[in-house]
Amino acid sequence: MILKDKVAVVTGGSRGIGRAITLMLAKEGAKVVFTYLTSKKEADSLVREINNFGGKAIALEIDIRDFEKTKLLIEKTKETFGTLDILVNNAGIVKDKALMLMSKEDWSDVLDTDLNGIFNVTRNAIITFLKQKSGKIVNITSITGIVGMARQTNYAAAKAGIIGFTKALAKEVGNYNINVNAVAPGFIETDMIKDFKEEYKSRIKENIPLQRLGATGEVANAVKFLLSDAGDYITGQVIVVDGGLSIK
Amino acid sequence: MQDIENEIKNLIAEIIEKDPSEINPEARFIEDLGVDSMMALEILAGIEKKYKISIPEEKLQELRTLSQTVLIAKEYLDKK
Repeated sequence: MILKDKVAVVTGGSRGIGRAITLMLAKEGAKVVFTYLTSKKEADSLVREINNFGGKAIALEIDIRDFEKTKLLIEKTKETFGTLDILVNNAGIVKDKALMLMSKEDWSDVLDTDLNGIFNVTRNAIITFLKQKSGKIVNITSITGIVGMARQTNYAAAKAGIIGFTKALAKEVGNYNINVNAVAPGFIETDMIKDFKEEYKSRIKENIPLQRLGATGEVANAVKFLLSDAGDYITGQVIVVDGGLSIK
Repeated sequence: MQDIENEIKNLIAEIIEKDPSEINPEARFIEDLGVDSMMALEILAGIEKKYKISIPEEKLQELRTLSQTVLIAKEYLDKK
């Protein structure tokens, strides 16, 4: 167990990539507090699954768009487990549409959750990290934030924003022994792409050098690497996990 | 009170790398002493550690002079 007794917060931890990250952290010995917004059933079942193998996890219903709620998230974590060592900003939503059909609401919803949510959670966690002069932050972005994908102007803008946030914060807090990195998944088998037509999925696969979609656990592995001692000298970086899709 | 003021003055002097004699009780941290936000946080964390108290993060904005800092430290020491 490479993260034994570390205390971690994961946003959006009940499903998809967040679920795989939460599970990985618990398996590596970390005590995990993860948030969910709508998926109470999935969150409860994940807590049970973790408890069953002797891991520790708590699920909190927190809307990361709400600054005060995210403050409670950090307070509750420190109250329960005594400290905070790891923050994984994973929660995100998509509302894919061509720009000409995108409403102001589609735009704001995605930016509020995917980008402003990261500010809220990280702002409330950073003083703890600064005071203890240690901490590891991993932000989940997307290759769409690097290369852009049609019908994702809102999501791409938010995810590119996360990359800028990651690099700026890495420079700001580096001398406090805090690592800030991002992981950019490509097409991963999650609910986010479950509605894609099979034909579209096979077309995607053809464009991926590794000729397949990724698994959520493969993204969690990159996060694990960054959070482990092996990642101690890495900061401000974006690790792309996309089967080679974005190779230029 | 005098003891605490001296202890906190020395702690601040160490963090901002100045001689304690330069830190007058009413000298403004930012304008007169060149304290930045990270140094202010270190001052807060240093006081918390020294006196084993917990000062809410919101109080960070109120650490503007030595005398204000001493008052805040006293307030939370009394609550201990």
